[in-house]
Amino acid sequence: MLEKLTEMLKGVLEGCVLEMISRNETYGYEITRRLNALGFTDVVEGTVYTILVRLEKNGLVEITKKPSELGPPRKFFSINDAGREELRKFWERWEFVSSKMNELKGRRP
Amino acid sequence: MGVRIIQNERAKGEKAMNFFEKITGSDMTKSFRSFESRAQNLPADYQEAWEQIKTHFWPYSDFTGRNLMPIFDGVLGLLEEAAADGQSIQEVLGDDIEGFCSALAGEEGAKSVRDKWREQLNPNIARKLRKL
Repeated sequence: MLEKLTEMLKGVLEGCVLEMISRNETYGYEITRRLNALGFTDVVEGTVYTILVRLEKNGLVEITKKPSELGPPRKFFSINDAGREELRKFWERWEFVSSKMNELKGRRP
Repeated sequence: MGVRIIQNERAKGEKAMNFFEKITGSDMTKSFRSFESRAQNLPADYQEAWEQIKTHFWPYSDFTGRNLMPIFDGVLGLLEEAAADGQSIQEVLGDDIEGFCSALAGEEGAKSVRDKWREQLNPNIARKLRKL
C-alpha cells in the first residue's frame, strides 16, 4: 500500500509541514519525527529540508537561529501572515480534492 | 569635492575587483575551503554522502559555481544538525541522494546544463519551423 504513497504525498507535504509550523515554532528534525509518527514513515529529514527551503523562498515562514546544546545552532521556523493565508488556501484545495474524490468513489457502480 | 573623487576611485576599484572575482571565482576559494573543513568534522558516512552531493550538483553550476555556494552552505547546515541529532545518513537522506539534489536544485532555481540547452533548443526549433 505504501509503495506509491511518496508520489501521492508530493503535492500535500508542503501543506502538512506548514500546518505543523503554524501550531508552534519548530525545526526540521521535529517536523520529520511528527510526520513519521503520523504514519508517513518514509519521509526523511532531507525531504522536509527541501520543503522548508521552498517555504522560505516563498516568504511563508520566519526563521530564527537558536543555539543548541549539542551541535550547531538550529534553524527554527514560525509561520507569518502570508504563510497563514497560504495554509488557509491549502486546506480549501484539500477540501475540494478530497470531497471530489469521495464523490467519485461513492458513485462507483 | 576631493572626497568625492576618492570615493569614485574606490568605487571603480571595487567594480574592477568584483569583475575579476566574477570571472575567476577567486573569492570563492575561501568559502570552499571552509565548506571542506566543516565536512571533515562530519561522521564518515556523512562525508561520503557529501562527496556524492557535490558530484550531483555540478551539472547545475554556473560558470564559476557561485550559484552553488549558498546551496552547499545550507546542505552542510542540514548535515551538521542531523549528525548532532545522532541520525545515520540513511535516516536523513533515504536511498535517493540524487533525487534529493535535483529536488533541492529545483527549489533553489538552479538550472542544469541540460535545462539550458533545452531553453536554447526550443526557440531555435520554433524559429526554423516558422520558416517552413
